[in-house]
Amino acid sequence: MNLRSIIWHELKSRPAGVAFNSLTIFLGVAALVAIRHVTVHSEQAVSKQLTNLGANILVLPKEATLQDYYAADQNGGTLPEEYVAEIFLSGLSGVEQVSPRLNVSTELGGHPVAVTGILPQSEVDSLAAWQATTMFMNAADTGCCTKANVATSDDLKAPEALVKHRAIQDLDKTALVLGADIAQKLNCQVNDRLKLQDEDFTVIGVLPVTGTVDDGRVFAHLHSIQRLWEKDSTCNAIEIVGCCEDAAGSLVPQLRELLPEAKVVTISQVVETQVGVNELMAKTSWIVLAVMILVGGAGLAGSIASNVRERRREIGTLMALGATPGFIQKLFLGKAFILGLCAGSIGCLVGVSAAIIAGPVWAGVAITPLVGTSLLAIFAATVVALVAAWWPAHGAARLDPCICFREV
Amino acid sequence: MIQLEAIRKDYQRRGQILTAFACESQQIEDGEYVAIVGPSGSGKTTLLSMLGGMLSPTTGRVLVDGISLYEHSVAERSAIRGQKMGFVFQSFNLIPYLSALQNVQVPLSFTTTSASEQLERATEMLTQLGLAERLHHKPSELSVGQQQRVALARTLVNDPQIILADEPTGNLDPTSREVVLEIFEQCHQQGRTLVVVTHDPSVAQRATRRLTLVDGMLVRAEDASSNASPQVAAA
Repeated sequence: MNLRSIIWHELKSRPAGVAFNSLTIFLGVAALVAIRHVTVHSEQAVSKQLTNLGANILVLPKEATLQDYYAADQNGGTLPEEYVAEIFLSGLSGVEQVSPRLNVSTELGGHPVAVTGILPQSEVDSLAAWQATTMFMNAADTGCCTKANVATSDDLKAPEALVKHRAIQDLDKTALVLGADIAQKLNCQVNDRLKLQDEDFTVIGVLPVTGTVDDGRVFAHLHSIQRLWEKDSTCNAIEIVGCCEDAAGSLVPQLRELLPEAKVVTISQVVETQVGVNELMAKTSWIVLAVMILVGGAGLAGSIASNVRERRREIGTLMALGATPGFIQKLFLGKAFILGLCAGSIGCLVGVSAAIIAGPVWAGVAITPLVGTSLLAIFAATVVALVAAWWPAHGAARLDPCICFREV
Repeated sequence: MIQLEAIRKDYQRRGQILTAFACESQQIEDGEYVAIVGPSGSGKTTLLSMLGGMLSPTTGRVLVDGISLYEHSVAERSAIRGQKMGFVFQSFNLIPYLSALQNVQVPLSFTTTSASEQLERATEMLTQLGLAERLHHKPSELSVGQQQRVALARTLVNDPQIILADEPTGNLDPTSREVVLEIFEQCHQQGRTLVVVTHDPSVAQRATRRLTLVDGMLVRAEDASSNASPQVAAA
């Protein structure tokens, strides 16, 4: 016989009471774990979607709309190209890739086409070098994620990189990259020559079919387009690949502050619903945690206090037989520990199961068990139980042992 | 040996101080069998609680084998109780969710006794008291007499030098009462000190000395061999 076996026999003697005492903690943990699982997986899904989007922040002229950008409409206004340098020089956390674009319309072989001027990354990198200097002078933890779709210079070498990474490493000032549709219409292939504003250009690549407006575009060097269309150092849009969490968080407000004359938008409408669900569930999980702490803790504290009252003579008897106050306190804390641990563990299992079943229906994401979250929930339940039981247990340890002589 | 020195226990009720027990000096020698008698509310249980180190006196000292109990912490007093004392209660105070065997092991669980030795000693004690067939029965599955024998086994399993009993036969039928008194006789013969609080004159008659309490005062001490002695103490 020892402390553990006394606790265990007492728990076994009243299973209904034990189940009732741990019900609130069990329900709280089950709800918390289920919500956290769905939230985390949903956030991962959003992150993946943002990554797949490539650029997730757009800097547009104030008067332009997102539709102007997608339609490559040059009437949406222009931005100074120097904004690109400003973005780099500001040393903002989370900026991974910056790509200015200038859209103009023209005709090629009798077909109206949108020509998009882009700045190759080799030239952007020379601007980015200033960012490193700025960061050295004004060190800030970027805390950047690894999820952003940041391409290496090797990834950007081929013209096809424009499809996946929205950027290209090198682009000669007389080179063109054609979208799949326009290449077909013009019956053009690599190394063919085309005239833009009476100037000769060589086709260096044809993009694969993307199913987007890019299929009808012609891409050329930004500075060539600026020169030919007399758009001195301007662009229509600056595409930014930001860290997923920064893009969804502080980066956009910071960019808005940095470029007050421009419009800064995230491509959030694509994931708007899911982001909304995530925010709702993140808030709900905090509410559930608070409910678990308050209701579960108060419930358990009440039931342990009631248990102490019921067992006053037993406590007095144990003290008369040689139990120390510390032993009595451990008797009730041990009980609370087992209740918290068991309710937390079972609640966790139920919560994970519920998330696996309900996740695909509720949030459209597949759920796999999160070990860290599960262990944390069990730990939280156990701590809540111990904290809740501390005061009644302390009271039990301070009971007058003479109570053992009283008739009940 | 138990010594009481200038003991007084006061309670405060609605601003009034009530003296539950007071005694200038009293001594209980090793191996004595003492009965404490007196009407309800005379302070018998208060005295027993103070002897057991469970109720601090307002003033004075209680010494057990020269150790002043209330100069030690609560935890230290618990340890002293576990080593030197055994309690017998009127309602047996068995733990309802433990079997007879487990109940008897409880005092041993507060010591360093190993699990196997606990089991061995508890089994031996219950067997001696005729409960070998009831080892795994819960208190609710035992008769009143059997419950009191389990409680006695629990008292004796630690081999205490001092046994403090509060109305040990109060809830028993005559046969069970006789069994309990026989066991007390044996303990007395083994040289243990017994202090028994009782209302029952026939139980008090078995003791070697009787202390009579009235309104918290020891008014009379009688040896078994003599009829009466003068008042022993005054507040």
